[in-house]
Amino acid sequence: MEAVSSRTITVEVNGVQYEREVEARRLLIHFIRDDLNLTGSHIGCDTGNCGACSVLIDGVLVKSCMMLAVQADGAKIETVEGLASDGELNGLQQAFSDHHALQCGYCTPGMLMSATALLRENASPSEEEIRKGIQGNICRCTGYVNIVEAIKAAAQ
Amino acid sequence: MLLREVEYARPASVQEALRLLGSHEGARALAGGQTLINVMKARAASPDVLVDLADIGELRGIELASDGTVTIGAMTTYTDIVDSAEARARPILGEVCKQIADVQVRNRGTVGGNVCSNDPTNHLPPLLVAVGATMTILGQGGERSVPAREFFLGVYMTAAGPGELLTKISVPPGKGDGFASVPIGRDGTCIVNVAASLDSGAPTLAIGCVDAVPVVLTPDSAAEETVRVAVRGANLDPPSDVHASADYRRHLAEVLALRAVAQAAGRT
Amino acid sequence: MTETTVTPERPLVVEEGESKAGFIGQNIPRKEDKRLVQGEGVFFDDVKRHEMGFVHFVRSPYAHARIKSVDVSKALELDGVYGTLTGDEVAILTDPFFELSTPPGANIKDYALAVGRVRHVGDPVAAVVARTRELACDATELVEVEYEPLPHVLDGEESLKDEVVLHEEAGSNTVWSGVFDWGDFDAAVEDADHVVRIERLHFDRFSSTPLECSGCLVEFNRGTGQWTIHGTHQMPGVGAIWMAPALRVGIDKLRFISQDIGGGFGNKITLHPQYTACCLLARKLNRPVQWTEWRTDQHTANTHGNERTFLDVTVPVKADGTMLGFSVRAIDDCGAFPRYEPLGCIIWAQVTPGCYRWRNVRVDFTQVCTNKSPVAPNRGYSRMQHLWLTERIVDIVAGELGLDPIEVRKKNYVKHEEFPYETPNGCVYDSGDYARCLDIALELIGYDSLEEKRQDAESRGKVFGIGIGSTLDSGTNNFGQSMILNPELQFSGNNEVATAKLDIFGEVVVTLGTVPQGQGHETTTAQVVADILGCTPDEINVRAGHDTYWNSNAGLSGTYASQFAVTGLGAVKGAADKLADEMKQLAAAVFGCGPDDIELVASQARIKGNPEAALPFMALGAILNANNAGLPPELDVTLNVRYVFRPEFEKPDLERKFGNLTLTYATQIHACAVEIDPETGVYEIVDYAAVDDCGNRIHPQIVEGQVHGATAQALGAATHEIFTYDEEGNLLTPNFYDYHVPHALDMPPMKTGYIESTSPFTPLGAKGMGEGGGAGIHAVCAALQNALGKKGEGPIVWRSCNPYEGVWDLLQKPEETRKLVSVETR
Repeated sequence: MEAVSSRTITVEVNGVQYEREVEARRLLIHFIRDDLNLTGSHIGCDTGNCGACSVLIDGVLVKSCMMLAVQADGAKIETVEGLASDGELNGLQQAFSDHHALQCGYCTPGMLMSATALLRENASPSEEEIRKGIQGNICRCTGYVNIVEAIKAAAQ
Repeated sequence: MLLREVEYARPASVQEALRLLGSHEGARALAGGQTLINVMKARAASPDVLVDLADIGELRGIELASDGTVTIGAMTTYTDIVDSAEARARPILGEVCKQIADVQVRNRGTVGGNVCSNDPTNHLPPLLVAVGATMTILGQGGERSVPAREFFLGVYMTAAGPGELLTKISVPPGKGDGFASVPIGRDGTCIVNVAASLDSGAPTLAIGCVDAVPVVLTPDSAAEETVRVAVRGANLDPPSDVHASADYRRHLAEVLALRAVAQAAGRT
Repeated sequence: MTETTVTPERPLVVEEGESKAGFIGQNIPRKEDKRLVQGEGVFFDDVKRHEMGFVHFVRSPYAHARIKSVDVSKALELDGVYGTLTGDEVAILTDPFFELSTPPGANIKDYALAVGRVRHVGDPVAAVVARTRELACDATELVEVEYEPLPHVLDGEESLKDEVVLHEEAGSNTVWSGVFDWGDFDAAVEDADHVVRIERLHFDRFSSTPLECSGCLVEFNRGTGQWTIHGTHQMPGVGAIWMAPALRVGIDKLRFISQDIGGGFGNKITLHPQYTACCLLARKLNRPVQWTEWRTDQHTANTHGNERTFLDVTVPVKADGTMLGFSVRAIDDCGAFPRYEPLGCIIWAQVTPGCYRWRNVRVDFTQVCTNKSPVAPNRGYSRMQHLWLTERIVDIVAGELGLDPIEVRKKNYVKHEEFPYETPNGCVYDSGDYARCLDIALELIGYDSLEEKRQDAESRGKVFGIGIGSTLDSGTNNFGQSMILNPELQFSGNNEVATAKLDIFGEVVVTLGTVPQGQGHETTTAQVVADILGCTPDEINVRAGHDTYWNSNAGLSGTYASQFAVTGLGAVKGAADKLADEMKQLAAAVFGCGPDDIELVASQARIKGNPEAALPFMALGAILNANNAGLPPELDVTLNVRYVFRPEFEKPDLERKFGNLTLTYATQIHACAVEIDPETGVYEIVDYAAVDDCGNRIHPQIVEGQVHGATAQALGAATHEIFTYDEEGNLLTPNFYDYHVPHALDMPPMKTGYIESTSPFTPLGAKGMGEGGGAGIHAVCAALQNALGKKGEGPIVWRSCNPYEGVWDLLQKPEETRKLVSVETR
């Protein structure tokens, strides 16, 4: 095998297959946003600290700005666009709205993916566990107060 | 934020990985990417070739031997360690891994990446030195073991040289360990960290964030004054940066050393 | 005054079947949420155009240097590069941006790219446009710039000396300077029993760092000369006022569009330089161009909050703790270019005496440039820095004289019965009850069990303290205050616009002039309109975002300065009232009765007392728009109205620097408890209470959300967030790795309480409150002071940001800060 500067990758995102040629240097978040036109996942920093780009890769929560698109070849990716069904919000999304857990909405997709990962692993997290679960997601608007309340409510 | 051009390969075996690393001078191993991708985003370093170790199954996993030794594959993630029953043979491992950054980083970041990048503020270098871990390195010349104390050579430099791979880390069993740190915010980057182990009787202390490599101290006993004298006698010369001055780091090293030892003593 | 005391431990959630009159005051589901929780918001970087080019800036590595040459030839050779822009071109194609100050500040030449010199690390020097983001970045590395480094200045006091001058055309680093003198300070000193002097206090440089960085997608229409800018600009009207003359075009040639913006907090108000560069590129290259700012760019070059040094603070005090006023010399560091400055030099005067009844205030205020990132009106703009000063004064005076800071506050607070209260410089505090808010804060934080908490902390080896931060959020500016700084400026009053129409199918459509970044404008607008038109918020379609082409904006339109509840909703109310009026006139014409006989209820226009005679909205819309034969000719309705809300303001008295500068004053009184580890200086905020009074709350959950967010930002600024430079002028905290903002685990338990002191001056009795006054910073400083100090002894907390090492230093060397304070007893 040889190292290549671009290759064709196949990914499944929210149940849909995509095949694209991509440069090796392209970050997964740019691939998702620019190449696949799924602009729900966001970019908030350049050092992997803010978590706005968080997605699930084969069920595992990761920051997609800290991966190359080529590393996701063959993976099943879940983004915020896959949470609702036919425009019907899922319980977590509804809880975020009910509890005013979003203001500008920019951190929200990443926050929802982190909360999704948390609740799949731990159906009744304590407050500390919730905060630990979203520790990798920065929000500048809400102070996290209502986000924690929303996740608690969704867990019940 | 935007990487320079790079070539990428994802080998299926350790041998293939070594071949790729050996045949390109500017080749780097890509483990979890939680450090390397950041470095490449900043364009602070731009390897020509990335050799992605993700498909090499034999590099990942945790084994518990009958004598209690925990052997951790280099591509094992922090989350793997936190969740592992086997790793509980040395509980401090999971406890410290759980303090690293956040869930996303723990899901991808690897022990191999942590030790091989040897950023002075990392958690695992001082921890593994204190617990007396052994690193196994594979190169074209074969396999060799290096004690953790000899593994860390300088900032971002370890005994795993170009064309070589850290394959696993072996940790003897034990419970008498402590880890104390002052991070910037909860689970944040460490300003100073200290790992201590009392398992071999007298304490082994490893102080991180104060030098290019963990500073190892072996005071005669765990008594407070003895430890204090040992830390002061080390004549630490820590860096000054935006988070702390050299003086403050020096002071924290002493306080945290005492706390790490006290923690370890409480658990023997 | 309408008073509602609510001390919720959890946010309120609307329950089905809750019966309240009207939607105002209820927590209706937010209209913005549905799209945002599905990732279907449209932020500027989500907008794509075929064949668009990506912009990357070449930025200065030097704090101060002459540009000797810029060579883009190698960049242009790179395959995929569409073109470049340099300072030389900018100097030919544009005129410098309009400066707000008087000379020498007026003579500063500020362009879209550095012309002749770079003045801070990160200053944009050239721009490259390429087919992909990565290529644009690659190409900037091929641009060769020859610099001749110059000495630089990184400190405000140093800059005053004018040894290193940033702007040769100005000849001085002083942007603006003046003395404010109200009451009779000298007589107050004579009258005092004690005079407390504080040599120095420093408000540190930080910013609210919105999660979404700035940027734009710019298209140029060659046929019409029209630019369309999809961006993040919080005050597009003002942006256009800067950009249009620079580009030498009429204002209408700049169309600003935004839908969703990921936080602004004032950092997205001075984007005109980068936006102008993008406009030039779009025109030059005949293709849409897109610029995305990355986090490092935002921290390095766009923008910081004002950094302010307070010197020679002098406080005359009576024996019983009554303070008579204060004097101070303030030096404000605005970074390399003023831009929105020097407005910060007057805006603090909206809250001259803070929460207090001080009548004698003298402020000698100077603003200077330094070779650091330019500043912008960051959340709390200029009032926060000043209110921090007043709170430090109260705590330090109380500490030095052995008085209880709680009692001193109550003694000096403006009293409930004194509202509306005119301050020494003519600002009118509309309503409030500070003592009551303080009592609620103390109750929430368990102040009565203070001793118990202290002993418990001590038993664990910790040092314990409680502090108070009392602030005001002054909202709805009278821009006439700018004339105090520069009488030549033609800005005064304020305005905001809204339109409302009834469409042919009976749908109500509202457009706003504001630029929301998460404040829930669509939702609160719908509440207000629904109450007026007698229908439900679901039936009100509020267009998302901002678009110049909607013609529902005026010169000062935007979202800034804590005013939407007043100006934005004032415009909405005006438009809805006008529309309601027209609907009644139309219905009256149809029914053959008078408009006063018509009421709007249940989405219908009907005759009062005769519900059978009803016209649904759809009928009204259809009749006027498509079926209007037979209507009386004198019926003058369009069902499509535009309303401009204009608050009542006078131009200030420029001579005395006197006048009402803001319409409303929301109150924030916070209490904070800290535990310090005396061995390390590491401290934890163990309890926190925030009490807010913003008059009538249109949507309580939205108000609470703002309180939570403002508090989190303040706590970050108090503990870790600081923009520190090295000696070469490099920013040492240029990203979220080094610049630590609060994450979920960093937040203390937070209790909130509210009272509602209706504003007598606003259409809905509401007050703007989005900024807060930085109360968290003041409260943490107070708590640390309380923990570390004793009467007349111990260190003085003199900086706004107190990281662990800072506290360690206070513990280790108390004498160093002790000497900053002296008390003269007469």
